[in-house]
Amino acid sequence: MTLTILAFAQARDTFGFAERVVACAAEDTPRIVLQRVAPGVSLEHLRVALDCEYVTWDTPIGAAAELAIIPPVSGG
Amino acid sequence: MDITIEFTPDPIVMPPAHLPSREIGAALEFHGIVRELENGSALAGLHYEAHEKMARRRLEQHLAELATLYPCVAIHCIHRLGWVPVGEASLYIRILSAHRGEGIALLAATIDRLKQDVPIWKMTQPSPPAP
Repeated sequence: MTLTILAFAQARDTFGFAERVVACAAEDTPRIVLQRVAPGVSLEHLRVALDCEYVTWDTPIGAAAELAIIPPVSGG
Repeated sequence: MDITIEFTPDPIVMPPAHLPSREIGAALEFHGIVRELENGSALAGLHYEAHEKMARRRLEQHLAELATLYPCVAIHCIHRLGWVPVGEASLYIRILSAHRGEGIALLAATIDRLKQDVPIWKMTQPSPPAP
């Protein structure tokens, strides 16, 4: 299966891309996928969402099509 | 509660005043305006970015939950994205309620949730982006 990774705001600078499509397995987790894409990058202070819902870094990807890396928000 | 959420790259235009019920006793409006000083530095404006689909969904979830705590008739939120010059609004919220108490409480809680959880980001820029 393929997964589209979106990186927003500071995360875009940290990971070096805004969007990337990767291959992954349903049992992979966001932590595993991002360690594969960007080895050594710290996930501290970042949240993650699968198909627009916040999840933990160790939640299986399952059937999700999109993984969003969410740095601290600052809207308003 | 009637919930309306909009994102726009353009200057925020206040929606026309409309009272859908004769039981509305309070109409609140909030304008969040970009200030010149951010952490002591003078700015020309701020750049706002969002995961728009998720931001809309997340805000809808929060507002549905807040509606049970602070029952109001309607809330209309408009968040501007892209470049917002100093002195212009990045956020507009209008709330209609029967009494002022629940409207004021909903307004404060909505802004708190927005700033804590909704995937929108502001980035400082010393000067406007090149055309």
